[in-house]
Amino acid sequence: MLSVKNIDVAYGHARVLHDISLELESGSMVFIAGRNGAGKTTFLKSIAGFMKPVTGTITFLGKDITGMAPEKVALLGIRYVFQDKRVFSHLTVRENLELAAYPVKEKTSKAIEKVMSIYPKMEKFLNLRAGSLSGGQRQILLIGRALVGDPKLLLIDEPTEGLAAGTINDILNVLAMMKGKVSMIIVEQNLSVVGMLGEKVYIMREGKIVQTCSAKEEITDKKQLEQYL
Amino acid sequence: MIQTIAYGLTIGGILYIISIGLSLTFGTMRIVNFAHGFVYTIGAYLLISALPIVRDNFFLGAVLAVAAVIPISYVIERFVIRKLYGVSIDYAIIATYAVVLIGVDLTKWIWGASPIPLSDPIGRDITLFSGVSLPMYRVLIIVLAVVIFGALTVFFKKTIVGKIVTASLEDKDAVKSLGINVDKYFSIVFVIGSCLAALGGVLYAPITSVHPYMGMMVLLISFAVVIVGGLGNIKGTFISAFVLGLVMAITGRYYGPAAETMVFVVMGIVLIFKPVEV
Repeated sequence: MLSVKNIDVAYGHARVLHDISLELESGSMVFIAGRNGAGKTTFLKSIAGFMKPVTGTITFLGKDITGMAPEKVALLGIRYVFQDKRVFSHLTVRENLELAAYPVKEKTSKAIEKVMSIYPKMEKFLNLRAGSLSGGQRQILLIGRALVGDPKLLLIDEPTEGLAAGTINDILNVLAMMKGKVSMIIVEQNLSVVGMLGEKVYIMREGKIVQTCSAKEEITDKKQLEQYL
Repeated sequence: MIQTIAYGLTIGGILYIISIGLSLTFGTMRIVNFAHGFVYTIGAYLLISALPIVRDNFFLGAVLAVAAVIPISYVIERFVIRKLYGVSIDYAIIATYAVVLIGVDLTKWIWGASPIPLSDPIGRDITLFSGVSLPMYRVLIIVLAVVIFGALTVFFKKTIVGKIVTASLEDKDAVKSLGINVDKYFSIVFVIGSCLAALGGVLYAPITSVHPYMGMMVLLISFAVVIVGGLGNIKGTFISAFVLGLVMAITGRYYGPAAETMVFVVMGIVLIFKPVEV
Protein backbone atom coordinates (compact mmCIF):
# COMPACT_ATOMS: atom_id res chain seq x y z
CA MET A 1 0.00 0.00 0.00
CA LEU A 2 2.69 2.50 1.04
CA SER A 3 6.27 2.20 -0.02
CA VAL A 4 8.92 4.58 1.23
CA LYS A 5 12.26 4.02 -0.47
CA ASN A 6 15.56 5.51 0.66
CA ILE A 7 14.32 8.99 1.48
CA ASP A 8 16.55 11.75 2.80
CA VAL A 9 14.90 14.88 4.20
CA ALA A 10 16.58 18.16 5.14
CA TYR A 11 15.74 21.46 6.83
CA GLY A 12 17.85 23.80 4.73
CA HIS A 13 21.34 22.30 4.78
CA ALA A 14 20.69 20.17 7.87
CA ARG A 15 19.80 16.62 6.83
CA VAL A 16 17.39 15.15 9.40
CA LEU A 17 16.33 11.86 7.77
CA HIS A 18 18.88 9.51 6.26
CA ASP A 19 18.02 6.73 3.86
CA ILE A 20 14.68 5.78 5.41
CA SER A 21 12.71 2.91 3.88
CA LEU A 22 9.44 1.38 5.00
CA GLU A 23 6.80 -0.89 3.47
CA LEU A 24 3.24 -0.88 4.80
CA GLU A 25 0.61 -3.50 4.09
CA SER A 26 -3.06 -2.58 3.78
CA GLY A 27 -4.89 -2.64 7.13
CA SER A 28 -1.76 -2.85 9.26
CA MET A 29 -0.91 -0.78 12.31
CA VAL A 30 2.75 0.05 12.81
CA PHE A 31 4.43 2.24 15.38
CA ILE A 32 7.45 4.48 15.21
CA ALA A 33 9.29 5.07 18.46
CA GLY A 34 12.42 6.99 19.31
CA ARG A 35 13.83 9.82 21.36
CA ASN A 36 12.90 13.46 20.84
CA GLY A 37 14.64 14.77 17.74
CA ALA A 38 15.01 11.31 16.19
CA GLY A 39 13.06 12.45 13.10
CA LYS A 40 9.73 10.66 13.75
CA THR A 41 7.49 13.69 13.08
CA THR A 42 9.59 14.71 10.06
CA PHE A 43 9.11 11.24 8.66
CA LEU A 44 5.30 11.43 8.98
CA LYS A 45 5.33 14.95 7.54
CA SER A 46 7.32 13.71 4.54
CA ILE A 47 4.65 11.12 3.77
CA ALA A 48 1.86 13.67 4.33
CA GLY A 49 3.44 16.18 1.93
CA PHE A 50 4.54 18.78 4.46
CA MET A 51 8.23 18.04 3.85
CA LYS A 52 9.76 17.30 0.48
CA PRO A 53 12.38 14.54 0.43
CA VAL A 54 15.74 15.51 -1.05
CA THR A 55 16.21 12.01 -2.43
CA GLY A 56 14.20 8.79 -2.54
CA THR A 57 10.59 8.05 -3.44
CA ILE A 58 7.27 7.60 -1.67
CA THR A 59 4.56 5.65 -3.50
CA PHE A 60 1.00 5.13 -2.29
CA LEU A 61 -1.25 2.59 -4.00
CA GLY A 62 1.18 2.58 -6.92
CA LYS A 63 1.17 6.37 -7.33
CA ASP A 64 4.31 8.43 -6.78
CA ILE A 65 3.47 11.00 -4.10
CA THR A 66 7.02 12.23 -3.43
CA GLY A 67 6.85 15.98 -2.76
CA MET A 68 3.13 16.16 -3.59
CA ALA A 69 1.20 19.05 -1.93
CA PRO A 70 -0.35 18.02 1.43
CA GLU A 71 -3.93 18.76 0.33
CA LYS A 72 -3.49 16.46 -2.68
CA VAL A 73 -1.97 13.73 -0.51
CA ALA A 74 -4.96 14.04 1.84
CA LEU A 75 -7.41 13.66 -1.05
CA LEU A 76 -5.65 10.45 -2.09
CA GLY A 77 -6.65 9.01 1.29
CA ILE A 78 -3.71 9.77 3.60
CA ARG A 79 -4.64 11.82 6.66
CA TYR A 80 -2.12 13.31 9.01
CA VAL A 81 -3.17 13.86 12.64
CA PHE A 82 -0.82 16.48 14.07
CA GLN A 83 0.62 16.26 17.55
CA ASP A 84 -0.30 18.90 20.19
CA LYS A 85 -4.08 18.28 19.78
CA ARG A 86 -4.44 20.97 17.10
CA VAL A 87 -8.21 21.33 16.71
CA PHE A 88 -9.75 24.49 15.22
CA SER A 89 -10.48 25.94 18.62
CA HIS A 90 -12.64 28.87 17.44
CA LEU A 91 -15.00 26.56 15.58
CA THR A 92 -17.47 24.17 17.21
CA VAL A 93 -16.93 20.41 17.18
CA ARG A 94 -19.65 20.16 14.52
CA GLU A 95 -17.91 22.81 12.38
CA ASN A 96 -14.58 20.99 12.75
CA LEU A 97 -16.26 17.92 11.26
CA GLU A 98 -18.06 20.00 8.63
CA LEU A 99 -14.69 21.26 7.44
CA ALA A 100 -13.33 17.73 7.22
CA ALA A 101 -16.41 16.59 5.27
CA TYR A 102 -16.34 19.46 2.75
CA PRO A 103 -13.33 18.50 0.56
CA VAL A 104 -14.39 14.83 0.37
CA LYS A 105 -18.00 15.79 -0.40
CA GLU A 106 -19.39 13.88 2.55
CA LYS A 107 -22.43 15.02 4.51
CA THR A 108 -21.67 16.57 7.90
CA SER A 109 -24.24 14.26 9.49
CA LYS A 110 -22.32 11.24 8.20
CA ALA A 111 -19.05 12.69 9.49
CA ILE A 112 -20.65 13.17 12.91
CA GLU A 113 -21.91 9.57 12.83
CA LYS A 114 -18.34 8.37 12.25
CA VAL A 115 -17.02 10.16 15.30
CA MET A 116 -19.98 8.95 17.37
CA SER A 117 -19.24 5.39 16.32
CA ILE A 118 -15.79 5.58 17.92
CA TYR A 119 -16.71 7.91 20.80
CA PRO A 120 -20.47 8.25 21.50
CA LYS A 121 -19.88 10.82 24.26
CA MET A 122 -18.91 13.37 21.60
CA GLU A 123 -22.61 14.01 20.90
CA LYS A 124 -23.00 16.34 23.87
CA PHE A 125 -20.01 18.42 22.78
CA LEU A 126 -21.09 18.96 19.15
CA ASN A 127 -22.13 22.57 19.63
CA LEU A 128 -19.30 23.51 21.95
CA ARG A 129 -16.18 25.28 20.76
CA ALA A 130 -13.51 22.67 20.12
CA GLY A 131 -11.12 24.79 22.17
CA SER A 132 -13.16 24.03 25.28
CA LEU A 133 -12.64 20.23 25.02
CA SER A 134 -10.21 18.37 27.25
CA GLY A 135 -6.92 17.09 25.78
CA GLY A 136 -8.28 13.56 25.35
CA GLN A 137 -11.50 14.72 23.73
CA ARG A 138 -9.53 16.93 21.35
CA GLN A 139 -7.38 13.97 20.38
CA ILE A 140 -10.45 11.83 19.71
CA LEU A 141 -11.97 14.67 17.68
CA LEU A 142 -8.78 14.87 15.63
CA ILE A 143 -8.78 11.14 14.95
CA GLY A 144 -12.51 11.25 14.17
CA ARG A 145 -11.97 14.25 11.89
CA ALA A 146 -9.25 12.34 10.04
CA LEU A 147 -11.62 9.40 9.52
CA VAL A 148 -14.09 11.51 7.55
CA GLY A 149 -14.11 10.52 3.88
CA ASP A 150 -12.92 6.97 4.60
CA PRO A 151 -9.16 7.44 4.33
CA LYS A 152 -6.94 4.50 3.58
CA LEU A 153 -4.00 5.51 5.76
CA LEU A 154 -3.79 7.50 8.99
CA LEU A 155 -0.55 9.07 10.17
CA ILE A 156 -1.01 9.80 13.87
CA ASP A 157 1.61 11.81 15.72
CA GLU A 158 1.94 11.19 19.48
CA PRO A 159 -1.75 10.53 20.23
CA THR A 160 -1.29 9.93 23.96
CA GLU A 161 1.29 12.63 24.65
CA GLY A 162 0.47 14.62 27.79
CA LEU A 163 -2.71 12.71 28.57
CA ALA A 164 -3.78 11.21 31.92
CA ALA A 165 -3.89 7.41 32.28
CA GLY A 166 -7.70 7.25 32.10
CA THR A 167 -7.79 9.30 28.94
CA ILE A 168 -5.06 7.17 27.36
CA ASN A 169 -7.44 4.22 27.76
CA ASP A 170 -10.08 6.09 25.74
CA ILE A 171 -7.54 6.67 22.97
CA LEU A 172 -6.44 3.04 23.15
CA ASN A 173 -10.04 1.90 22.74
CA VAL A 174 -10.50 4.18 19.74
CA LEU A 175 -7.30 2.94 18.08
CA ALA A 176 -8.20 -0.69 18.85
CA MET A 177 -11.62 -0.16 17.25
CA MET A 178 -10.01 1.17 14.08
CA LYS A 179 -7.39 -1.56 13.87
CA GLY A 180 -7.71 -3.58 10.67
CA LYS A 181 -10.23 -1.16 9.16
CA VAL A 182 -7.70 1.50 8.18
CA SER A 183 -3.91 1.37 7.90
CA MET A 184 -2.06 3.39 10.49
CA ILE A 185 1.44 4.64 11.17
CA ILE A 186 1.58 5.97 14.71
CA VAL A 187 4.41 7.84 16.37
CA GLU A 188 4.23 6.84 20.02
CA GLN A 189 6.52 7.07 23.05
CA ASN A 190 4.20 5.17 25.40
CA LEU A 191 5.56 1.64 25.19
CA SER A 192 2.45 0.16 26.88
CA VAL A 193 0.33 1.45 23.99
CA VAL A 194 2.88 0.16 21.49
CA GLY A 195 2.93 -3.27 23.18
CA MET A 196 -0.84 -3.56 23.22
CA LEU A 197 -1.61 -2.56 19.64
CA GLY A 198 1.52 -2.70 17.53
CA GLU A 199 2.14 -5.25 14.81
CA LYS A 200 5.51 -3.80 13.95
CA VAL A 201 7.66 -1.18 15.62
CA TYR A 202 10.30 0.91 13.89
CA ILE A 203 12.85 2.47 16.21
CA MET A 204 14.36 5.73 14.99
CA ARG A 205 17.54 7.38 16.17
CA GLU A 206 19.30 10.42 14.66
CA GLY A 207 17.20 10.33 11.53
CA LYS A 208 17.63 6.64 10.79
CA ILE A 209 15.60 3.49 11.39
CA VAL A 210 17.98 1.56 13.64
CA GLN A 211 15.76 -1.39 14.55
CA THR A 212 12.59 -3.06 13.35
CA CYS A 213 10.68 -5.26 15.80
CA SER A 214 7.94 -7.42 14.38
CA ALA A 215 7.82 -10.48 16.65
CA LYS A 216 5.14 -10.22 19.36
CA GLU A 217 7.59 -10.95 22.16
CA GLU A 218 9.89 -8.15 20.91
CA ILE A 219 7.07 -5.60 20.82
CA THR A 220 5.66 -6.45 24.23
CA ASP A 221 9.06 -6.54 25.91
CA LYS A 222 9.31 -2.99 27.24
CA LYS A 223 12.83 -3.44 28.53
CA GLN A 224 14.07 -4.56 25.14
CA LEU A 225 12.42 -1.60 23.38
CA GLU A 226 13.69 0.83 25.98
CA GLN A 227 17.29 -0.06 25.21
CA TYR A 228 16.87 1.46 21.77
CA LEU A 229 15.31 4.66 23.05
CA MET B 1 -18.10 68.21 20.31
CA ILE B 2 -20.97 65.98 19.17
CA GLN B 3 -20.29 67.13 15.62
CA THR B 4 -16.63 66.10 16.08
CA ILE B 5 -17.69 62.67 17.35
CA ALA B 6 -19.99 62.27 14.34
CA TYR B 7 -17.09 63.13 12.02
CA GLY B 8 -14.88 60.74 13.93
CA LEU B 9 -17.38 57.95 13.32
CA THR B 10 -17.28 58.71 9.59
CA ILE B 11 -13.50 58.39 9.58
CA GLY B 12 -13.87 55.22 11.63
CA GLY B 13 -16.31 53.79 9.09
CA ILE B 14 -13.94 54.39 6.20
CA LEU B 15 -10.96 53.12 8.19
CA TYR B 16 -12.88 49.93 8.94
CA ILE B 17 -13.79 49.33 5.31
CA ILE B 18 -10.16 49.82 4.24
CA SER B 19 -8.55 48.00 7.15
CA ILE B 20 -10.62 44.84 7.33
CA GLY B 21 -9.18 43.55 4.04
CA LEU B 22 -5.68 44.31 5.25
CA SER B 23 -6.42 42.56 8.54
CA LEU B 24 -7.68 39.43 6.80
CA THR B 25 -4.76 39.17 4.36
CA PHE B 26 -2.31 39.93 7.14
CA GLY B 27 -4.02 37.40 9.40
CA THR B 28 -4.34 34.57 6.89
CA MET B 29 -1.33 34.98 4.64
CA ARG B 30 1.01 36.66 7.14
CA ILE B 31 1.87 39.12 4.38
CA VAL B 32 2.39 42.83 4.99
CA ASN B 33 0.54 44.01 1.93
CA PHE B 34 1.44 47.56 0.95
CA ALA B 35 -0.31 46.95 -2.39
CA HIS B 36 -3.54 47.50 -0.44
CA GLY B 37 -2.81 51.25 -0.64
CA PHE B 38 -2.57 51.05 -4.43
CA VAL B 39 -5.91 49.25 -4.68
CA TYR B 40 -7.47 51.94 -2.47
CA THR B 41 -6.13 54.65 -4.79
CA ILE B 42 -7.05 52.89 -8.00
CA GLY B 43 -10.62 52.44 -6.69
CA ALA B 44 -11.00 56.22 -6.44
CA TYR B 45 -9.48 56.81 -9.90
CA LEU B 46 -11.66 54.14 -11.48
CA LEU B 47 -14.66 55.93 -10.01
CA ILE B 48 -13.55 59.14 -11.74
CA SER B 49 -13.28 57.28 -15.04
CA ALA B 50 -16.61 55.51 -14.50
CA LEU B 51 -18.64 58.64 -13.67
CA PRO B 52 -18.92 59.97 -17.26
CA ILE B 53 -19.99 56.48 -18.43
CA VAL B 54 -22.83 56.28 -15.90
CA ARG B 55 -23.90 59.91 -16.34
CA ASP B 56 -22.39 60.99 -13.04
CA ASN B 57 -24.43 58.48 -11.03
CA PHE B 58 -22.04 58.12 -8.09
CA PHE B 59 -23.47 54.88 -6.74
CA LEU B 60 -23.43 53.12 -10.11
CA GLY B 61 -19.92 54.45 -10.67
CA ALA B 62 -18.87 53.09 -7.28
CA VAL B 63 -20.16 49.62 -8.18
CA LEU B 64 -18.30 49.71 -11.52
CA ALA B 65 -15.08 50.89 -9.87
CA VAL B 66 -15.17 48.19 -7.22
CA ALA B 67 -16.02 45.52 -9.80
CA ALA B 68 -13.11 46.66 -11.98
CA VAL B 69 -10.75 46.12 -9.06
CA ILE B 70 -11.53 42.36 -8.99
CA PRO B 71 -9.30 41.44 -11.99
CA ILE B 72 -6.63 43.92 -10.88
CA SER B 73 -6.45 42.44 -7.39
CA TYR B 74 -6.48 38.91 -8.83
CA VAL B 75 -3.44 39.75 -10.96
CA ILE B 76 -1.63 41.21 -7.91
CA GLU B 77 -2.48 38.11 -5.86
CA ARG B 78 -1.57 35.64 -8.59
CA PHE B 79 1.72 37.19 -9.68
CA VAL B 80 3.01 38.94 -6.55
CA ILE B 81 1.32 37.82 -3.32
CA ARG B 82 1.23 34.09 -4.12
CA LYS B 83 5.00 34.10 -4.62
CA LEU B 84 5.41 35.48 -1.12
CA TYR B 85 3.62 32.76 0.89
CA GLY B 86 5.93 31.40 3.54
CA VAL B 87 8.88 33.62 2.69
CA SER B 88 10.41 36.25 4.96
CA ILE B 89 8.18 39.22 5.78
CA ASP B 90 10.92 41.55 4.39
CA TYR B 91 10.37 40.25 0.86
CA ALA B 92 6.64 40.89 1.16
CA ILE B 93 7.24 44.48 2.27
CA ILE B 94 9.66 45.15 -0.61
CA ALA B 95 7.55 43.41 -3.28
CA THR B 96 4.21 44.96 -2.29
CA TYR B 97 5.81 48.38 -1.82
CA ALA B 98 7.11 48.05 -5.37
CA VAL B 99 3.50 47.51 -6.48
CA VAL B 100 2.53 50.78 -4.76
CA LEU B 101 5.34 52.68 -6.47
CA ILE B 102 4.47 51.23 -9.88
CA GLY B 103 0.82 52.01 -9.14
CA VAL B 104 1.57 55.64 -8.24
CA ASP B 105 3.46 56.18 -11.50
CA LEU B 106 0.78 54.37 -13.44
CA THR B 107 -1.98 56.59 -12.02
CA LYS B 108 0.11 59.69 -12.77
CA TRP B 109 0.58 58.48 -16.33
CA ILE B 110 -3.10 57.72 -16.90
CA TRP B 111 -4.88 60.40 -14.83
CA GLY B 112 -2.15 62.99 -14.18
CA ALA B 113 -0.53 64.09 -10.93
CA SER B 114 -2.92 66.93 -10.04
CA PRO B 115 -5.50 66.27 -7.32
CA ILE B 116 -9.02 65.76 -8.68
CA PRO B 117 -11.86 67.04 -6.47
CA LEU B 118 -15.21 65.27 -6.26
CA SER B 119 -18.35 66.79 -4.82
CA ASP B 120 -20.58 65.23 -2.16
CA PRO B 121 -22.79 62.84 -4.19
CA ILE B 122 -25.85 63.44 -1.99
CA GLY B 123 -25.34 67.09 -1.06
CA ARG B 124 -27.86 67.13 1.76
CA ASP B 125 -27.53 67.25 5.53
CA ILE B 126 -29.39 65.17 8.04
CA THR B 127 -30.30 66.48 11.50
CA LEU B 128 -29.30 63.89 14.06
CA PHE B 129 -30.62 65.79 17.05
CA SER B 130 -31.23 69.43 17.86
CA GLY B 131 -28.40 71.57 16.63
CA VAL B 132 -26.36 68.69 15.27
CA SER B 133 -26.50 67.93 11.60
CA LEU B 134 -24.24 65.84 9.46
CA PRO B 135 -23.92 65.41 5.70
CA MET B 136 -26.17 62.49 4.74
CA TYR B 137 -23.26 61.01 2.77
CA ARG B 138 -21.23 60.65 5.95
CA VAL B 139 -24.11 58.98 7.77
CA LEU B 140 -24.36 56.59 4.81
CA ILE B 141 -20.67 55.70 5.24
CA ILE B 142 -21.18 54.87 8.93
CA VAL B 143 -24.24 52.74 8.11
CA LEU B 144 -22.35 51.00 5.30
CA ALA B 145 -19.45 50.16 7.63
CA VAL B 146 -21.88 48.60 10.12
CA VAL B 147 -23.58 46.64 7.32
CA ILE B 148 -20.21 45.37 6.03
CA PHE B 149 -19.23 44.38 9.57
CA GLY B 150 -22.50 42.42 9.90
CA ALA B 151 -22.13 40.83 6.48
CA LEU B 152 -18.53 39.76 7.14
CA THR B 153 -19.46 38.37 10.56
CA VAL B 154 -22.21 36.26 8.96
CA PHE B 155 -19.87 35.28 6.10
CA PHE B 156 -17.17 34.01 8.44
CA LYS B 157 -19.53 32.31 10.88
CA LYS B 158 -22.05 30.75 8.51
CA THR B 159 -20.42 30.00 5.15
CA ILE B 160 -18.01 27.16 4.48
CA VAL B 161 -15.52 29.57 2.86
CA GLY B 162 -15.66 31.73 5.98
CA LYS B 163 -15.12 28.72 8.23
CA ILE B 164 -12.16 27.56 6.14
CA VAL B 165 -10.59 31.00 6.40
CA THR B 166 -11.29 31.14 10.17
CA ALA B 167 -9.65 27.73 10.61
CA SER B 168 -6.72 28.76 8.39
CA LEU B 169 -6.14 31.83 10.54
CA GLU B 170 -5.53 29.43 13.41
CA ASP B 171 -3.78 26.51 11.70
CA LYS B 172 -3.16 26.57 7.96
CA ASP B 173 -1.36 23.20 7.85
CA ALA B 174 -4.18 21.43 9.68
CA VAL B 175 -6.64 22.75 7.06
CA LYS B 176 -4.36 21.48 4.29
CA SER B 177 -4.20 18.07 5.99
CA LEU B 178 -7.97 17.76 5.44
CA GLY B 179 -7.51 18.06 1.68
CA ILE B 180 -8.40 21.74 1.36
CA ASN B 181 -6.42 23.95 -1.02
CA VAL B 182 -5.94 26.86 1.38
CA ASP B 183 -4.31 29.13 -1.22
CA LYS B 184 -7.50 29.14 -3.29
CA TYR B 185 -9.46 30.49 -0.34
CA PHE B 186 -6.73 33.01 0.46
CA SER B 187 -7.16 34.33 -3.09
CA ILE B 188 -10.87 34.81 -2.40
CA VAL B 189 -10.09 36.63 0.85
CA PHE B 190 -7.52 38.78 -0.94
CA VAL B 191 -9.99 39.79 -3.66
CA ILE B 192 -12.73 40.56 -1.08
CA GLY B 193 -10.24 42.62 0.95
CA SER B 194 -9.09 44.48 -2.15
CA CYS B 195 -12.67 45.26 -3.18
CA LEU B 196 -13.28 46.70 0.26
CA ALA B 197 -10.10 48.79 0.00
CA ALA B 198 -11.30 50.09 -3.37
CA LEU B 199 -14.70 50.83 -1.82
CA GLY B 200 -12.88 52.78 0.90
CA GLY B 201 -11.10 54.82 -1.78
CA VAL B 202 -14.36 55.41 -3.61
CA LEU B 203 -16.15 56.53 -0.45
CA TYR B 204 -13.33 58.78 0.71
CA ALA B 205 -12.91 60.45 -2.68
CA PRO B 206 -15.73 63.03 -2.18
CA ILE B 207 -14.48 63.85 1.33
CA THR B 208 -10.91 64.56 0.29
CA SER B 209 -9.48 64.85 -3.21
CA VAL B 210 -8.21 62.06 -5.44
CA HIS B 211 -4.44 62.06 -5.96
CA PRO B 212 -1.80 59.42 -6.70
CA TYR B 213 -0.41 59.38 -3.15
CA MET B 214 -3.73 59.14 -1.31
CA GLY B 215 -3.13 55.46 -0.51
CA MET B 216 0.19 56.01 1.26
CA MET B 217 -0.95 57.75 4.47
CA VAL B 218 -4.21 55.86 4.79
CA LEU B 219 -2.25 52.62 4.50
CA LEU B 220 -0.10 53.41 7.52
CA ILE B 221 -3.18 54.36 9.56
CA SER B 222 -4.85 51.12 8.41
CA PHE B 223 -1.88 49.13 9.68
CA ALA B 224 -2.32 50.86 13.04
CA VAL B 225 -6.02 49.87 13.01
CA VAL B 226 -5.10 46.25 12.25
CA ILE B 227 -2.42 46.09 14.94
CA VAL B 228 -4.72 47.59 17.58
CA GLY B 229 -7.68 45.42 16.52
CA GLY B 230 -5.79 42.16 16.13
CA LEU B 231 -4.75 40.31 12.97
CA GLY B 232 -7.72 38.78 11.22
CA ASN B 233 -10.04 39.88 14.03
CA ILE B 234 -13.21 41.24 12.41
CA LYS B 235 -14.77 42.52 15.61
CA GLY B 236 -11.48 43.88 16.95
CA THR B 237 -10.80 45.72 13.68
CA PHE B 238 -14.32 47.20 13.76
CA ILE B 239 -13.89 48.56 17.29
CA SER B 240 -10.32 49.68 16.65
CA ALA B 241 -11.28 51.56 13.43
CA PHE B 242 -14.02 53.54 15.16
CA VAL B 243 -11.91 54.25 18.27
CA LEU B 244 -8.99 55.47 16.16
CA GLY B 245 -11.38 57.44 13.92
CA LEU B 246 -12.63 59.21 17.05
CA VAL B 247 -9.06 59.73 18.26
CA MET B 248 -8.23 61.40 14.94
CA ALA B 249 -11.33 63.60 14.96
CA ILE B 250 -11.05 64.68 18.59
CA THR B 251 -7.30 65.35 18.37
CA GLY B 252 -7.86 67.24 15.12
CA ARG B 253 -10.44 69.47 16.82
CA TYR B 254 -7.86 70.71 19.31
CA TYR B 255 -4.64 70.46 17.30
CA GLY B 256 -5.02 69.47 13.66
CA PRO B 257 -1.40 68.49 12.84
CA ALA B 258 -1.39 65.87 15.64
CA ALA B 259 -4.51 64.03 14.44
CA GLU B 260 -2.68 61.27 12.58
CA THR B 261 0.25 61.15 14.99
CA MET B 262 -2.13 60.39 17.85
CA VAL B 263 -3.24 57.20 16.06
CA PHE B 264 0.32 55.88 16.27
CA VAL B 265 0.62 56.96 19.90
CA VAL B 266 -2.44 54.82 20.68
CA MET B 267 -0.93 51.96 18.65
CA GLY B 268 2.30 52.28 20.63
CA ILE B 269 0.42 52.11 23.93
CA VAL B 270 -1.51 49.03 22.74
CA LEU B 271 1.73 47.34 21.63
CA ILE B 272 3.26 47.88 25.07
CA PHE B 273 0.44 45.93 26.70
CA LYS B 274 -0.48 43.55 23.85
CA PRO B 275 2.46 42.68 21.58
CA VAL B 276 1.55 41.46 18.09
CA GLU B 277 2.27 37.82 17.31
CA VAL B 278 3.25 37.36 13.65
